[in-house]
Amino acid sequence: MNTILEVKHLAKNFNEKKIHRDVSFSLKQGETLGLLGNSGTGKSVLLRSIIGLEDIDSGSIIYRNKRIDELSEVELYPIRTKISYSFQSGALFDSMTVYENIAYPLFEHTNLSESEVDQKVDEILSLINMKDAKDLMPSDLSGGMQKRVGLARSMALNPDILLYDEPTAGLDPVNVEMVIEVMKRFKARGFSGIFVTHDIPAARKICDRVLILNEGFIAFEGSISEFENSNDPFVQTFLAGQ
Amino acid sequence: MISRIKKQLVISGEITLLFQETVYCIFTRPFYWGRLLDQIVQLGIGSLSITIVIGFVTGLVMTLQFGYGLEKFGGTLYVPAIVAISLLRELAPIFTSLLIAGRVGSGISAEIGAMNVTQQIDAIRALGTSPTRVLVVPRVLACIISLPLLTTLSGFMGIMGGLIIAYTEFNMPLGFYINKVLTTITFADVLGSMVKCAFFGIVIALLACYRGFKTREGTRGVGNATTWVVVRTSIIILISDFFLSKLLILFLY
Ligand SMILES: Nc1ncnc2c1ncn2[C@@H]1O[C@H](COP(=O)(O)OP(=O)(O)O)[C@@H](O)[C@H]1O
Ligand SMILES: [Mg+2]
Repeated sequence: MNTILEVKHLAKNFNEKKIHRDVSFSLKQGETLGLLGNSGTGKSVLLRSIIGLEDIDSGSIIYRNKRIDELSEVELYPIRTKISYSFQSGALFDSMTVYENIAYPLFEHTNLSESEVDQKVDEILSLINMKDAKDLMPSDLSGGMQKRVGLARSMALNPDILLYDEPTAGLDPVNVEMVIEVMKRFKARGFSGIFVTHDIPAARKICDRVLILNEGFIAFEGSISEFENSNDPFVQTFLAGQ
Repeated sequence: MISRIKKQLVISGEITLLFQETVYCIFTRPFYWGRLLDQIVQLGIGSLSITIVIGFVTGLVMTLQFGYGLEKFGGTLYVPAIVAISLLRELAPIFTSLLIAGRVGSGISAEIGAMNVTQQIDAIRALGTSPTRVLVVPRVLACIISLPLLTTLSGFMGIMGGLIIAYTEFNMPLGFYINKVLTTITFADVLGSMVKCAFFGIVIALLACYRGFKTREGTRGVGNATTWVVVRTSIIILISDFFLSKLLILFLY
């Protein structure tokens, strides 16, 4: 399988605070990579850095053999239609309806007609079981529903890579299953993903490989079975802590 | 002291960059007509009633004061001209702009600030679109378009207010008042105040958007942002008004 995304020796500080010291990994075409780590270890910052929402201090990010960490904001816009970020909080536009939120990237980046967009949004909404919520405002939705709409919005353009920031956190078990189902379908179409989560059973269901981020380094990298059977003391304390 | 000056320089630099980017986005595609229209309705039309009231009341009180002030020297005849000129050239632009700085400037910075702390600005970027294009351009243009028109309306309402006082308090014939006003004011007066207000409109919208983007610290940050915007823009409006007036007197009036 080809490598689609590669992060090399990434370092990132906020003022004096070192978040990432030396982070390297690669993501293959069609693969879903689990990214684990305690709260505050910089998982969100890592995903945000990949699409250039944060500037990195050193290292490189390579997407399809092209360095994207050196691109300007404007040059990143087309990249962000290919590498999509699903926010931890959903980050829905609160002045727009659910429909308008999901239609936003479609109107911006495709030449679809209004009826084609309608059809596409309906399709996505039924995928996340939220057909009835089409005309609701985000403030009318529960936190879990907002996250699902955010996920739907980030999938609207059929990106190559989806960066899922804790998509299952705070959902009830039924919705966790549904989100995993959505992620599986996305994966089945041959697309790649990075799945940030604390939910090890969920990671088991969908991830091909797992990374653990700790104190600015990748503390563990391996397949799901290597992860669960690891004798590494760090992995064991990590598993025990979850 | 040095570090405070440095901070102000950084802020000015960042605002200049935002301005450049805004200008670039105005003249390149895509252009969001729908969003511009929304903003004109929200910012411009939404400020209509209060502009009318302020303009009218200013006209009333100005005529009253000038009327009694000049009566002592037998100068009541000059009241219509003085009221019309001072309203059109200074009072309407300044009052309207300060009012818009309070109403619209604080509104914009609160809205964008709240969007920022809830990651909606990041979401605009993450979806491959430009917050400047989506949010700043419609607001800046809406202010450039609305503020001069509101000011002109406000000036007109002031002259109407003056007419009522001149007629009721000073028994001035209506025809005389109207005639005096029309022969005094020129198109240049109206144009000058519109130019000034277009500039104030840019200042208000740009600073409000800038501060909105800089809002970090949650709900309290949004409150701080609105205060910052109203104070800053008011000061800039008052100071730059002096220099703009000087320029207009040199080149236009
Ligand atoms: N914009 C920022 N400015 C300063 N510090 C930040 C910023 N964003 C995140 N951080 C810090 O970076 C660290 C990692 O954050 P984050 O990536 O959200 O952790 P998590 O692994 O839980 O997703 C946290 O300590 C957070 O305080
Ligand atoms: Mg996080």
